[in-house]
Amino acid sequence: MSYEKDQMEKFLKGDGSSDRLDIPLLKYMWDASPLAFMTTKESYHEYFKKISVLQSFSDNEIRLFTKFLHRREFAVNEVIFRQGDSGYGFYFIFSGSVNIYANQQIQTDDLGDLVIRLEKRQYFGEMGLLEDFNRRSATVVAAESTVLLGIFKPDLERMLEIYPVLGAKFLRETALIMANRMGQLTREILTLKKKVKDLEQRV
Amino acid sequence: MNATRNTQAAKLYLFYFLLLAAIVFAVMFPRLTLPFGFSYIIYLMSKPLTMMLTTGSKKQRFFYLMLILVCVTFLFFPLFATLYNLETDFGGLYQQLPEVQKILQDKFFAFKVEIFERFGLRINMDPVTFVIQKLEKQGSKVLVQFPNYVSSIFEWLLLVPMFLFFFFKESKTFSGLFMETIPNSIFEKTYVLFTQFNTKFGEYIIAKFIEATILGTLITLGLLVVGFPYPFILGFVAGITNILPYIGPIIGFIPAFFVALLSKDPNVSMIAMVSIYAIANLIDMILVFPLLVSKIVNLHPIVVVVSIIVGSQLAGIVGMIVIIPFIAFFKLLFKEIYQDLSVQL
Repeated sequence: MSYEKDQMEKFLKGDGSSDRLDIPLLKYMWDASPLAFMTTKESYHEYFKKISVLQSFSDNEIRLFTKFLHRREFAVNEVIFRQGDSGYGFYFIFSGSVNIYANQQIQTDDLGDLVIRLEKRQYFGEMGLLEDFNRRSATVVAAESTVLLGIFKPDLERMLEIYPVLGAKFLRETALIMANRMGQLTREILTLKKKVKDLEQRV
Repeated sequence: MNATRNTQAAKLYLFYFLLLAAIVFAVMFPRLTLPFGFSYIIYLMSKPLTMMLTTGSKKQRFFYLMLILVCVTFLFFPLFATLYNLETDFGGLYQQLPEVQKILQDKFFAFKVEIFERFGLRINMDPVTFVIQKLEKQGSKVLVQFPNYVSSIFEWLLLVPMFLFFFFKESKTFSGLFMETIPNSIFEKTYVLFTQFNTKFGEYIIAKFIEATILGTLITLGLLVVGFPYPFILGFVAGITNILPYIGPIIGFIPAFFVALLSKDPNVSMIAMVSIYAIANLIDMILVFPLLVSKIVNLHPIVVVVSIIVGSQLAGIVGMIVIIPFIAFFKLLFKEIYQDLSVQL
């Protein structure tokens, strides 16, 4: 039985007329709105619900969080930021994909070595949000026509001021991302050390 | 890759062109840009208050509302009282002008005689008459221009609320549109600097306003207690001039010094007046300034004094007041550019 029929039956029986606000119903109406596909906010909502690090956010928290985001559109091969630039923002890939390059030679057109390609629902630049006087450690270039959702230092400060719980939650998630990256780095360093040791023994 | 780079460069040039066009428009039409700027300052000043009143629980909002009401009552009452008494004080001063002129001329004549007797030098100039004539000329100029002032006041009364309404209602849409025009290559820096400038500017103006009110109130109360003439207008002038850092307190002190110097009343004590000004400025320097202003504008005293002189040359009294947050912003900007250059080199 559909939700509408269930509600209609309850209404005809006289059960559905409560004075209290029916939150699940409102939530349902929100998600099932026929105009939902037309609004960007709704698609942001759906988008963030599928991002693993923000899964602890409630629907309302996601709604509030999207208020602090900036939508930026990048053409194919457009540089998002360069290695050594001052960093202030954290980006989510809303559509498209980006290439990350490292070891760029300063003041040259050479982008450096391709490290990784990030796709939709992945994110980058979290250090820029947390660190004072952050310098970008890699160059990021749009691999195709890409839409990014960025949150910047002033937005985070405003979020912490207006919605401290949401701000703290977002900071916790960002810290988790950092911790994961640190863990990954540690593992990579250990592997490299082991390889160096093996090479030394062979020599 | 080259096509993308060309499009990016075109977007960047278009943005700089629009920025330049906006500056040229602002300079060419000051009748529009001045009330617009004034409304923007009020909007920035009210931002922290609106944030306090629109967030938090009901209890917190009620507490903030009460706190603001108490502050407004205590801080602004002397200013309202001053406005009420300004007319009386100005009337008194205006009636005293011929007397002041006579006293000044007598004192200068005595000075000339003393110089002649001691050194045999004859001073032929008459600066007192010169200054009084200049003041009279300026006064008549003001009278001639009076209809223009009245019409511009009416213009401001119409434009300022209109712009304020626009800022409160449409600021998000307007800033969103502005953000969209910023090219991707400079977006992060421009956005962060723009936000920092807005915050610094709003906080600085509101902090200076509160500081001026506290100092004006202290001086008015002190002068009232010792029975010094024109306490309201002198407190008001001291408060207003205090908005200018370092040189403001000195300018604010000059009128009281002349009133004490020229007064024949034995109850008017120069020492009491100087002590009141010194104590009020000490309280300002030790308590009010460090708590309210210093964290917002972290500039060297020499930079501040030079900036005030430059500001006065550029835009008179308004320039003297608003130049400080602008300099603080340029400091941030130069720091940013310097860091970028040091990475590139």
